[in-house]
Amino acid sequence: MTVSRIFVANRGEIAQRVLRTARDMGLETVIGVSQADAEGLPAQMADRAVVLGPAQATQSYLNVDLVLHAAKATGCDALHPGYGFLSEKPELARRCAEEGITFIGPRPETIEDMGDKLSAIAVARAAKVATVPGTDMIDSASKAKAAAEELGYPVVMKASAGGGGKGMFLARSADGLESAFNRATREAQAAFGDGRLYMERFVEAARHVEVQVIGDGEGNVIHFGDRDCSVQRRYQKLIEEAPVTAMSPALQQKLREAAVRLCAHAKYRGAGTVEFLYDVAREDFYFIEVNSRIQVEHPVTEEISGHDLIHHQILAASGQGLVLSQDEITLSGHALEVRINAEDPARDFAPAPGRLTAWAPPLQDGVRLDSHMRDGDLVPPFYDSMVGKLITRARTRDDAIEAMLRAIRDFRVEGITTTLPFAARIIDHPDFRENRITTRWLEDQFLAAQDVA
Amino acid sequence: MTLKQTDIEALVELFGDSSWKEMHLRMGEDELFLTKDANATSPMARGNAQPATAPAPAQAPTPAPAPAQAPTPAPAAAPAPADSTDRSGWIEVKAPNLGTFYRAPSPEADPYVTVGATVTEETEICLIEVMKLFTTMRAGLKGTVREIVAQDGDMVEFGATLMWIEPEA
Repeated sequence: MTVSRIFVANRGEIAQRVLRTARDMGLETVIGVSQADAEGLPAQMADRAVVLGPAQATQSYLNVDLVLHAAKATGCDALHPGYGFLSEKPELARRCAEEGITFIGPRPETIEDMGDKLSAIAVARAAKVATVPGTDMIDSASKAKAAAEELGYPVVMKASAGGGGKGMFLARSADGLESAFNRATREAQAAFGDGRLYMERFVEAARHVEVQVIGDGEGNVIHFGDRDCSVQRRYQKLIEEAPVTAMSPALQQKLREAAVRLCAHAKYRGAGTVEFLYDVAREDFYFIEVNSRIQVEHPVTEEISGHDLIHHQILAASGQGLVLSQDEITLSGHALEVRINAEDPARDFAPAPGRLTAWAPPLQDGVRLDSHMRDGDLVPPFYDSMVGKLITRARTRDDAIEAMLRAIRDFRVEGITTTLPFAARIIDHPDFRENRITTRWLEDQFLAAQDVA
Repeated sequence: MTLKQTDIEALVELFGDSSWKEMHLRMGEDELFLTKDANATSPMARGNAQPATAPAPAQAPTPAPAPAQAPTPAPAAAPAPADSTDRSGWIEVKAPNLGTFYRAPSPEADPYVTVGATVTEETEICLIEVMKLFTTMRAGLKGTVREIVAQDGDMVEFGATLMWIEPEA
């Protein structure tokens, strides 16, 4: 199962990132691009680039047949899917196996299990990893009361048939419970013709924390520490950091162990991320989901661990297993990542594609840029608006923040509008500096305050 | 007796597959000259009023400086390199996506078209295969196939030139 020629089935910064490591490992590289990316940096970095189809992703990057055909026709024995596009499509993993191509990712069954919310939760429970505490169907206010006592207030009532926030009612104490239950039942009945309810613990102040793991597929799993990605807008992460600092060291250790336990149970192969909701008030964490791919924010983990995750991902996929033991992974310092999106925050984050007339990143010690852009390059309007990621590493979180502010100040970008200045305002905010933010902070407080201003 | 279009197509095919370097055929008023030599000069041009200008373009000879009677230019057998062929007015048929190019519906079958073939919008001209899914391509215009660039069984990329068709005047 040795790998000698890798097909990169992606574009943009992650294509560039994978190509860099593949070249460092002495592997041959082929990339399948769309017409829009035929002249881009990844196409030039690869030993060979083939044009799959026109710019539209459905006729290029998202077409499993085209990607496989290109990988086979160019003699590749492995395929890296990057993130997004086909990376979490079990079909691609399965068909790679059928064609004798090593898929650099988990087994197709694992991708399937992790991609389905209910089966992922079942895996977590089987591995004794906490999920958001909740109940089965509840059919009376008195049963609701008893269940709420057990879960602890506040609780939220949700319509079994529901979705989109309909039929959801919050109860902060026993006093409000009965009326919340009755209202929720009525609304669920009216909205869905089904008044059945269940109840969950309500997490008022939540942070998004996650653990980076790599497994060998045999039940051996190591972790590379955790990340905090609580700065989000519409569930999109904007700023990520490693390690998590808003948690007691004891709880953090439990978090990492839980992730390893879950992935060991699933006999997880390759790189993955286990995401958790961190309930700040209760100091407890609950499993959300597993991302069975390399993630956008992996660089912050690389920066504090000193390990190339793509390298280990390729080794794990090629059956060479884990070449590291947990003891060999030591984490030090703090890393921050800012996603650079070609968007205009002043116009509700409208995509702002265009041609770069200047792209001069600040190349200082402790500053890393993962990007596929060059001076004069066009940001095409067909894909995700992310044009790169700026990463800083320092001894402490405060120092990493200062380094990021300097790096953003010195980064000259012209021709397109990016979210860099916006990111600088976020990390310069007292709430971010003092680490008081939650997943709702950006929208409910930071952006809301700007609207008023 | 004149050379028919189909005769010429058949001759070109045979010549292409042969080890011959040159073929000069004269039948009554008609004359046909095929060559695989880039620097060859058409004997028709030589013996004609037309000055033997540039060496007859190579494998993909242009509508050779042929005498009025010559019904078709001498088409090339081998694939055309980026050469001096004058393709002005010809239309490029491009690959709609990456795939494998096939000239015939099956390995045993005759090719859909050969150089010199007249086509209409609906004429099937080749197959593009992607993971065993075969898509038939049609000419999309009325005209004459002037050049077939892609090789049978080759992987072609999106936008690659497969053939050239000269539209009907």
